[in-house]
Amino acid sequence: MTPARANSKRWLLIAPAAILVGVFLVLPYLNIILISFRPPAQGAPYGAGYTLQNYGKFLSDSFYWLQLWNTIAIAFVTSALCLLVSYPVAWQLARGNTRMRGLYYGIVLSPLLVGIVIRSYGWTIILGNNGLINRSLRDIGWISAPLPLMYNTFGIVLALVHVFLPFMVLPIMGALQSVDPALESAARSLGASRTTIFRRVIFPLSMPGVQSGCILVFILAMSAYVTPALIGGMRVKTMPVTVVDTLIDAFQWPFGSAMALMLSLCGALIVIIFARLTRMKWA
Amino acid sequence: MKTNRRSFQSGRLLLNCFCILVYLFLLAPILVVVGASLNAGAFLTFPPQGLSLRWYVVFFNNDVFMKAIRTSLVIATIATCISGVIGSAATLFYARYAGAAREWVRIGLLAPLLLPEVLTAIALLFFFYAIGVGTQNMIALLVGHVLITLPFIFLNVSASLEGFDPAWELAAQSLGAGPWTRFRRITLPLIKPGVIGGCLFAFIISFDTFAISFMLKSVGTSTLPIQLFDYLRLNFTPEAAAVSTVSILLTLVVVIVTEKLLDLRIHRF
Repeated sequence: MTPARANSKRWLLIAPAAILVGVFLVLPYLNIILISFRPPAQGAPYGAGYTLQNYGKFLSDSFYWLQLWNTIAIAFVTSALCLLVSYPVAWQLARGNTRMRGLYYGIVLSPLLVGIVIRSYGWTIILGNNGLINRSLRDIGWISAPLPLMYNTFGIVLALVHVFLPFMVLPIMGALQSVDPALESAARSLGASRTTIFRRVIFPLSMPGVQSGCILVFILAMSAYVTPALIGGMRVKTMPVTVVDTLIDAFQWPFGSAMALMLSLCGALIVIIFARLTRMKWA
Repeated sequence: MKTNRRSFQSGRLLLNCFCILVYLFLLAPILVVVGASLNAGAFLTFPPQGLSLRWYVVFFNNDVFMKAIRTSLVIATIATCISGVIGSAATLFYARYAGAAREWVRIGLLAPLLLPEVLTAIALLFFFYAIGVGTQNMIALLVGHVLITLPFIFLNVSASLEGFDPAWELAAQSLGAGPWTRFRRITLPLIKPGVIGGCLFAFIISFDTFAISFMLKSVGTSTLPIQLFDYLRLNFTPEAAAVSTVSILLTLVVVIVTEKLLDLRIHRF
């Protein structure tokens, strides 16, 4: 076989995936950017010509600004809480010499194997006005009226932390596992205390895992739809819920696209700033 | 020294207690759903009022949910097969021949995971209308599912290729093995765990995914998560819990069968 023919055969390996991603991911994204500049129309998804009015409508209305801010805040708090909760768990999984490790690992993975609709539904059973927590507290007699655990930001954040926790634990665990134990011994032989070893040696070395976990959870939380829709109900709406309402119910394709793109743009900006601040290359 | 050790031990105890609380937190909604499905009463309450399987009977007689389960299984199977073949081939190319384009191939194959799924779903919906295919048939839905499962094939297969030494293939070649024999006897056995692990994840992701199915489903066909979501907006009977439990069990069966039959370890989420 001539080298040229061998080379052309190699390209056949990547061709189907390249066509799939090129035609069904890149082109649709270019298309949605174009649609966001289209004027709205009656009886059709969008009118002829191009305009900036969709972006203008978004930027001039404080209602959308507030919602964008809320969505970012929810995603930020979710990532921060995920990090706080995940680090000790990742630590135990990476370093604990316990026999239970396999079981614990399975528990951490378990949410990934259960659909997001089902998990959010589980939280509605726990948090609802007639749910597990409120009923138990009422039966004990601690409360007379149900605590507002659902249909608010608290419920959304709690459920989102649950939904995305594995995406934080796994990268941090990976990073902690790759820290050379010799470094720790070296630090100890030089007289460093446990706290100092953690602060100066182990934590900095686990930063790549912390960083990719935070980025992943932040992006996922910002674009989450099911959990806010089920737990937030009609009362608290995040941007993705409003975007879907605008596109499907109100049938305003251009404005919905503009909103979705603004949300993604803000998300991307925050991720880039975060990556810069943590002084690491975007991986 | 003694106090140091004691503080270390109490620190470890504290860590373990904290972790157990987190594990309870992780399991809570799943356990609650399974528990609620056994409710004998007409309303969704937890803890259940008396145990019964009546809501499973209701569910198995509900054609809408049964049809949705079948649709989900069919879509997940087809999407996994297509994604597995396309993704494994692309990952082989990435690991060996991509050269300067390596980083681009990686970004391209991971893009569906890094881009917001809702936005990808919307973009695909508009695109399928723009090219005149629409969502009358299942093509759009299938394309969407193949797209979002692709990164999971890539992550798993590329992990199994990490320790792959090209010298083995050269050795086989020098012993007279043709390209097909080399692939069948050397490469395939090496990447098999990655391919199977990737397909396992692809199947689960496809079976459970929401946004893509929500936007791209054709009129009259629903996957299980969509049907469940619609149902939950209006109803509060324990039937939804029975549906969820069956869905969880199906996933669990797939995982266990794959693990036992093919003897592999899941090494990537």
